[in-house]
Amino acid sequence: MEQYLTLQNIGIATGFALILIGLYGGLTNKNILRIIVSFTIFNSGLNIVIVALAYLKGRVAPIIDDTTGLDNLSQKFVDPVPQALVLTAIVIGLGVTGVMLAYALKMYQNKQTLNINDFKETKW
Amino acid sequence: MVNPVHIVSIGLAAAFLMSLAGKRQQNILAYFLMIAVGAMSFISLQWLMEIYSGGAGREVFTAGFKPPFAINLRMTMDEAVLTSIINIFGLFSIIYLFDTFKKANNHLLSIFIIYLMGLNVMVMTRDLFNLFVFLEIVAIATAGMMIMSSDKKGISAGFKFLIASSVISGLLLLGTLFGYTYTGTLNIDMMQALPLIKGGAVALFLIVVALVLETKPFPANGWALDLYTSANHGVGAMLSVLSAPAIMFVVYKMLPVIPQDWQLVISFFGIITFAASNYLAIRQENIRRMLGYSSVAQGGLLLATVGLADYLGGSFYFVALGFLLTNLFAKAGLFWLGGIVNSDNMNKWGILRKKPVLLLLFGIFAAALAGLPPFPAFFAKWELVMQLGAGEGWGWIAIMLIGSLFEIAFLFKWVGRVFKAENEENAPANFAMHKQIPALLLGAGIIAASYFFIDYLNFNLTFVLIPLLAIAAFFVIDYAPAFIKNILLIGALSFYGYMIYPELQGDIMKLVFAGIFLIGGVLTLFPGFSAKGARKGFYPFAAMTIFGLLMLVNPADNLTFFMGWELMALGSFILILRGKMAEKPAFRYMLFSAGGAYVMMAAFAMLNNISGAEFFGNINIPANTAGIIFALLAIAFMLKAAAIGLHIWLPGAYAEAEDDATPLVSGVLINSGVLGLVLLVTSFGPQTLFGYDILHIMGWIGAITAIGGNMLAIYEEDMKRLIAYSSVGAMGYIIFALAINTKLGLLIALYYTILHFIYKTMLFISAAGVMHRTKTRNMYEMGGLIKSMPLSFIVVLIGIITLAGMPPLAGFAGKWMFYNAIILKEWYIQGAMIFFSGIVAFLYLYKLISSVFLGQLKDNHRKVKEAPFYYIIPQLILVMAIMVLSVQPQWLMQPLSTIIPASFAGEALQWDGNLATLSTGYWNAFTIMSVVMAMFGILFLWLVYHSRKAQKVKQFNIVFAAEKPFRPETTHVSYNIFAAYKKALGWMVTPLATRFWERLSDIFTAIADKFRTWYTGNGQTYALHLLIYAFILYIAISGGKLL
Amino acid sequence: MYKNILILALLVGLGILLSTAITDREENTSLPELPAYYADNTAKEVGAANMVTAVIVTYRGFDTLGEVTILFVSAALIAMFLKTGNRRKNRNPRPSSVILSTAQKLLFPLIILFGAYVFANGHLTPGGGFQGGAIIATAFLLWLMANPEGEMRHGILSSLEAFSGTFYVIIGVVGVILGVGFLNNSILPLGELGRLFSAGAIPVIYSLIGLKVGAELSNILHHLNEVQNEE
Repeated sequence: MEQYLTLQNIGIATGFALILIGLYGGLTNKNILRIIVSFTIFNSGLNIVIVALAYLKGRVAPIIDDTTGLDNLSQKFVDPVPQALVLTAIVIGLGVTGVMLAYALKMYQNKQTLNINDFKETKW
Repeated sequence: MVNPVHIVSIGLAAAFLMSLAGKRQQNILAYFLMIAVGAMSFISLQWLMEIYSGGAGREVFTAGFKPPFAINLRMTMDEAVLTSIINIFGLFSIIYLFDTFKKANNHLLSIFIIYLMGLNVMVMTRDLFNLFVFLEIVAIATAGMMIMSSDKKGISAGFKFLIASSVISGLLLLGTLFGYTYTGTLNIDMMQALPLIKGGAVALFLIVVALVLETKPFPANGWALDLYTSANHGVGAMLSVLSAPAIMFVVYKMLPVIPQDWQLVISFFGIITFAASNYLAIRQENIRRMLGYSSVAQGGLLLATVGLADYLGGSFYFVALGFLLTNLFAKAGLFWLGGIVNSDNMNKWGILRKKPVLLLLFGIFAAALAGLPPFPAFFAKWELVMQLGAGEGWGWIAIMLIGSLFEIAFLFKWVGRVFKAENEENAPANFAMHKQIPALLLGAGIIAASYFFIDYLNFNLTFVLIPLLAIAAFFVIDYAPAFIKNILLIGALSFYGYMIYPELQGDIMKLVFAGIFLIGGVLTLFPGFSAKGARKGFYPFAAMTIFGLLMLVNPADNLTFFMGWELMALGSFILILRGKMAEKPAFRYMLFSAGGAYVMMAAFAMLNNISGAEFFGNINIPANTAGIIFALLAIAFMLKAAAIGLHIWLPGAYAEAEDDATPLVSGVLINSGVLGLVLLVTSFGPQTLFGYDILHIMGWIGAITAIGGNMLAIYEEDMKRLIAYSSVGAMGYIIFALAINTKLGLLIALYYTILHFIYKTMLFISAAGVMHRTKTRNMYEMGGLIKSMPLSFIVVLIGIITLAGMPPLAGFAGKWMFYNAIILKEWYIQGAMIFFSGIVAFLYLYKLISSVFLGQLKDNHRKVKEAPFYYIIPQLILVMAIMVLSVQPQWLMQPLSTIIPASFAGEALQWDGNLATLSTGYWNAFTIMSVVMAMFGILFLWLVYHSRKAQKVKQFNIVFAAEKPFRPETTHVSYNIFAAYKKALGWMVTPLATRFWERLSDIFTAIADKFRTWYTGNGQTYALHLLIYAFILYIAISGGKLL
Repeated sequence: MYKNILILALLVGLGILLSTAITDREENTSLPELPAYYADNTAKEVGAANMVTAVIVTYRGFDTLGEVTILFVSAALIAMFLKTGNRRKNRNPRPSSVILSTAQKLLFPLIILFGAYVFANGHLTPGGGFQGGAIIATAFLLWLMANPEGEMRHGILSSLEAFSGTFYVIIGVVGVILGVGFLNNSILPLGELGRLFSAGAIPVIYSLIGLKVGAELSNILHHLNEVQNEE
């Protein structure tokens, strides 16, 4: 069991925990704003997992400067790809959250309630 | 050639620039949008042409580096086709939504073009993370377009969509990154090793589950249904036609990475989505929601096809393209027509009748979507079913065909409503030109696609292509007056008969049936000459029916036979639907007909495994090898021939059809079932099913049908229903005769078929004439017409004597042979039943002639004249035919005997001049006729002689009865004439079959109602459904163990 | 109640599934081929010191284009959605405190400058267009909080947003025209590693992105604020 307790795995596990908490919140809360916040937590968890997956033990951030020099960089750096991907994912999460908030605002304007159970006009 | 990446750059640049526009430039923005999308379409089309004419595709490398170091896009044939569809349809959508776009603000237009651009990249990209990004773009853009609809439902639907989308894309992102962790790459083409790496299966599972959930599978698709219900019709069309195929293509792209058994699971879930969604669509009253269910179902079918891509091999493109194009043209067309009609209530759709072109379009789209010929989905479904059959996927075939039957149910219920719903004032319809023209283009599109499919399949010119062309021609000339069209159709049929005669010469059986269909068609068209006006919508479908029937006569393979069958069904459905009260019976007819057709299709799939695609009438299947196939085909044909239990569609359909359409639909059409049964019995040896001899069972069915049909006829007051039930009885005889399976039996069946065709057609035309003049169908309202309609009387008299099988007319020959055959076969009980039904037939035949022609003339019929000239002509021709047959039956029977294979058991009828002999007896028709004529002649002369001294009395003279007849009705003896019989024997005709089918349909609809409450409307619950579905998919794929 | 238990069970199942990523994954001791290539070749091919920037802007520049588009669509959607007619009906927001308004006046230009620094130096130090843009938007958020009745000139912001986006696409197209590939940064000279004007088109692109993101996020905040002020 101890071999699993690396820094990376702790990070990944934290990310998973957040994902599950976020999903649980998104599926059980009734208030629309809480649902949106839960999905934000879900997104954060996703991003943490992605970044944690990029880690290699004992290495530094992928930026070339005087301390790293120009040689043998592939032995010195962590994986830059997931970091790039997570940047995109964060922005996407922001976009979706913004749109969801706008929808929430509009829904409140229409019905004066933020309970998701009140928005069942189309069913069956 | 323009670099495909410019599709992206043009789209984005246009979007960004449009957001600059101020209020003053709003007007030109819509045009600017069209130009931009037009440019995108141009690029796609350019590549499509290039690759189609043999050019190579193109890999687009971005950033100057090759994959996997940078993202690449691909443009090969697949991508060219799909991006062309996306962009061109986008262009049409702009035209369709032009008024909305002109009033919308610039942000909406930017969002629209980004939606299109995002779809293009989803299709072209080869990088999994890039796919994720552009999938999100499409999702947000979709959420943006939901706002286009002006109602509030769109907002909550959009929110539910966003919740579901977040969950799905989260799973996809997780899977992608896990996949990267295990394989070190994000490029789809380089991820093939993923499932093999330890732990990689989990990553793949997450990706697969996300993609499958995105395809809106049943039942985790509540969010999608809400989208369709609330979105603007133009947006709904785009979702169905563009978003769904794009994601299917993504699944297709990922296929090399997905293991084979996972593919099969995905495919199977797709088929279930197809069946279940079509099932739930039946209970929908809201048109948009119904179309949503249908779109989800089509998506399922497409997913199933994609999942089977490896299995289908070479046929994959044919099947996939068929479904794709059908979805594109027909589904979008229905959505757009919905926007034109502008109502979700089925009852308001009658407004389409005001614009015949739109009505035609609607019919085309509905038929194309339902998978009827000549449209692409028909051929695609056939190929798919045959391929599934080759792999013995019977369960798959069953689910797919059941789903197709449900599809026909809701589509044709809708068609019926469109044709029959009352039109109110102030309909909300919007017939703007810019909405109609794109719909017309879609109609043209599906016709063009059908043309290509038919061309590809290389059908026989004379027997398939020419009939199809003839049918199309009648659609085109529908504006002409009825007189001209009648001449043209009769002429076309005659000429066609002349054309095919040399081909069929020598094959008596084919000649017989071709003759029945052709001559019957021509004769039943004669009364049409007395119709006035243009009679729109009759001739194309009459042509469709008759030519469809003709396709059954000499098909090269089973597909052609099936195509003729379905064409005939569609044509006759519309003919029946034209009747005044025909909506419900026509629907019932279509449903039963489609059910029979799908049973036939399943049988053909099984047959394909045994003997290939060759037409089943041309091959010989040895005994006891194909019991199930025989049974299934027998059921299908007996359904058309209205065997008892499957007959309940017949009386309604025949009775409610227009009076001069009924002869065609009943006398001529019912013989298609007979043709099928005859072919069945002659090509297949005797078969057993679960140890029972099928023919034995058929014999019982025939006997029961004969009694049942005749008994049901005797209580009818409606003239057409009576004759219709009589057809059921006659079919019983024919089925029974075929079941006897001896030489004599087959001869009887054929003889009876021809005879029934002659006298039934004759009776129906005559009845049509009477009804035309008296303006009623109820026999108790008629009476005493013998004086005013003497010719009709004679015709009906000849008809009923023939039907009853009394000497000297031709029917007696049939009866005589029948009883001899029964004795030779030793089926005594069934024989007794047939005998009994013959007697019962006397009862209703008497009722028919006496109620209508004998008795007292009604006041309102005093001025009635003989039936119109054009009604009389065909009747007289048929009467002459019967007289000829009565005197010289061997002219017909000897050629018929040559059809009978020598392999049949039993003895044949021996002829010696006019004398026919069997081991059990002999008979000479000529002698009988001479004797009877002599007797008749003597009696007649004696009567004439004595009536010189007769005293004429008026109708109300007390001499006629011992009562005081002030009003004619009270003396009408025919009303409720058989009340006593009803008391005694009425229990025999309790409508068991009708009740059974109605109970069955009630159960189905109740279950459907229960199931659709699964879609509670709560967006959170829909998100939960996604997780539940993922779990089920996990169990299906991995069998429960940890991957 | 039962629904919650079901949800819990499903999520536990999902958690177990996910945990295979911990248990089945072998610890990486060296970079896989793809990132190793990036590590070794970024300096030569792209000329950016910040490898993550190189990946984002050049190697996976297409993704960034998509990302920018997403923000654009979100902003457009919010603008379209929350376009209300009578904006200034019942506006009685509470005035902000003196501390806030004074501090805002001081901090606003500083934050903007910082943001600009972040995106201008994206290829050299951690940061980049998105980060810089977010910082700029924070400045505007501060401004909004301090001036609840203030009207932002979102016309200027919109134009800025649109032009930045268009130029970004044009840069990409220039790459195609020159035959080096869409969004290749070598259309401008690569220069010397570590200097401000190096890495070809990356600083230009990132600056455009920074301005665009900043403008967009500010616009979003502005629209959300507008709606709030109606109540």
